[in-house]
Formats: sequence, structure tokens, C-alpha cells
Amino acid sequence: MIAFVSGGARSGKSTHAEALARRWQTERGGARYYLATARGGDDAEMQARIERHRRSRGEGWITLEEPFDLLAALDRVAPGSTLLLDCLTLWASQLLYASPLSEAQGIAMVERMLSEARRRDVALVIVSNDVNEGMPPEDAEVWRYLAFLQRVHRLVAHEADEVVQVVAGLPQVWKGRGGEGA
Amino acid sequence: MQLFLGGTCAGKRGVVRQRFDSPCWHSAYHDCRLETWRMAAASSQCLVLEGWERWIAARLTAELDDDRLRDIMAIELDALRAWEAEQGGEAVLILLEMGRGIVPFAPEARRLRDLNGWLAQDAASRCERVWYVRNGLCRSLSY
Repeated sequence: MIAFVSGGARSGKSTHAEALARRWQTERGGARYYLATARGGDDAEMQARIERHRRSRGEGWITLEEPFDLLAALDRVAPGSTLLLDCLTLWASQLLYASPLSEAQGIAMVERMLSEARRRDVALVIVSNDVNEGMPPEDAEVWRYLAFLQRVHRLVAHEADEVVQVVAGLPQVWKGRGGEGA
Repeated sequence: MQLFLGGTCAGKRGVVRQRFDSPCWHSAYHDCRLETWRMAAASSQCLVLEGWERWIAARLTAELDDDRLRDIMAIELDALRAWEAEQGGEAVLILLEMGRGIVPFAPEARRLRDLNGWLAQDAASRCERVWYVRNGLCRSLSY
């Protein structure tokens, strides 16, 4: 099972994704993992943000931290478990700007993670931010980031069994559980 | 007439390609001017028009009155509807959603954003079907 949950800043997407991961774990058994792509570092604002997320998640999570190597993180997850990945926007920026990997290698890594999660029976809930509905960026580097992130989003949405957009805490289903609107 | 609306790199083009058989693409990204769509329409019964924000941007300096520019764009939409009725063709419009971010600092960018939003409203009111594309998935907006 793969779910893709996205929305704007403070839309309630993480809360929705956490509830979904809890439900899947209850139904399927196994452990429940939280894969944080954010690392605390020295940034006080970032540390506070991470701590707020940790508090709201509650108990029962095995937390993994991995800035860009999703396959290494998946190797630490027991088969039959549930894994929540939060979030792709940060992963994409770290892959582009803090890893030795190319965009093509990043896409291949996501493809491999999705297929490996299915093979190992790891239920995967993936969270990301919607950032493409304002004015198109003028800066070439921002364009590169947005185009890469959107490629990842389209890939994950295509492969996912459920695609949900969260607006003001309300889940809007784009795929699965009621079907695509088209 | 059908409208496909969505953000930057949302997958609009891919969705249109899946749904329409060998349409003629009249694209501002390939330097086609809006007003030459009739020539493109002569070769196909299905005409896809994309890059509307570029067609608006190209008119911003020549027409400083936003209401008049909105009308100028709407006249093209009416012409496309008339072509459909006369020739039995179908026009497919691809428009960029760009109104959900921070208000741009530059006045020209604000005008473009406003006019693009009005164009989307004017197009939607003239289309039989309106779709929103997000991450390669498509949902009907019109009921």
C-alpha cells in the first residue's frame, strides 16, 4: 500500500498522514516508523519545528533520520511494517543541493523505494508540500527545483494507491477510496 | 470546448495527450501567436491552445486597461466557440494556475496574475467541461 498526502503549509497534511499510518499499522500489524528528512542541526527554528512534529505524533513511532538516501532508510525498516516519510520537499532540496546525486539518480531512487516497499510489504505514506500553484518562478535555479519536485510528485501520485490533498485539515481524495474524479 | 487548469509542471500536457487523438497543438511555448490559431485549426478538428499567460504577457504593454485586455482575450474565446459551432471541431484550452502564491512585488506581474485569473473564469464559463490537473491526476471541476 502506498499513499501520497500533500497540501499547503499548515494544511493538516502531516496529521492526516500520521492517522493513516496508525490505521494501516492497526490493520496490518508490524512496527510503525517515521522517516524524517529534516535534520535538527544548529538551526533553532528548525529544531523547534521538529520538536513540535514529534510531540504531535505521540508515542509508538520508531524515528529514522535520513536527509536523502531513501533506500538506506528503507533497509532499516522491518518487512511488514508501516513507514511514514515526511517530507519530499525537503528531501528534494537536500538531494539537489546537499548530495552527490543527480536528478536522474534521485528519480531512480524514488522509483526503487516505491517498488522495494511493495516487495518488502512495507506500507508507505509519503508527505509533501504543494508549491506549484503560485506565479511560475523567474529564477532558473528555483525552476530546476520546482520541475524536479513536480516530476517526483507525478511519479509518486502515479504509483500510489491513494492520493490525498489536505485543505484546512479536510482530506480531498484524488485517487483510491472513491476513485479519481475523471 | 474543454479547459484543463493546473499549476506549474502539474502534468496538464500529459493528461491532454492521453485524452485527445492527434490534436493540433497551438503553443505559445513554440512561438505561435494566439491570433494565428485559425491557420492551425485548418489542419485538425481538435485544437489544443497552451501558453495563454504568454499571450497575455505579450499584450500587457500595448493595452494598459485591464478590463479592455480581459475583453480582448474573451473575444478570442468566443471566436473559438464560433469555430467549434461552424466546423464541428473541438478546442482544448490549457491554462496555468498561478494565483495561489504570494502577491508579486512587480506591478506587471500582478497584472499578469490578475488577467490570467480572469481569463480562467471567462474560459470556464464558456467551456462544457472544466478539469483541474494536479500531480498528473485530473478531476472535473464543473458539475
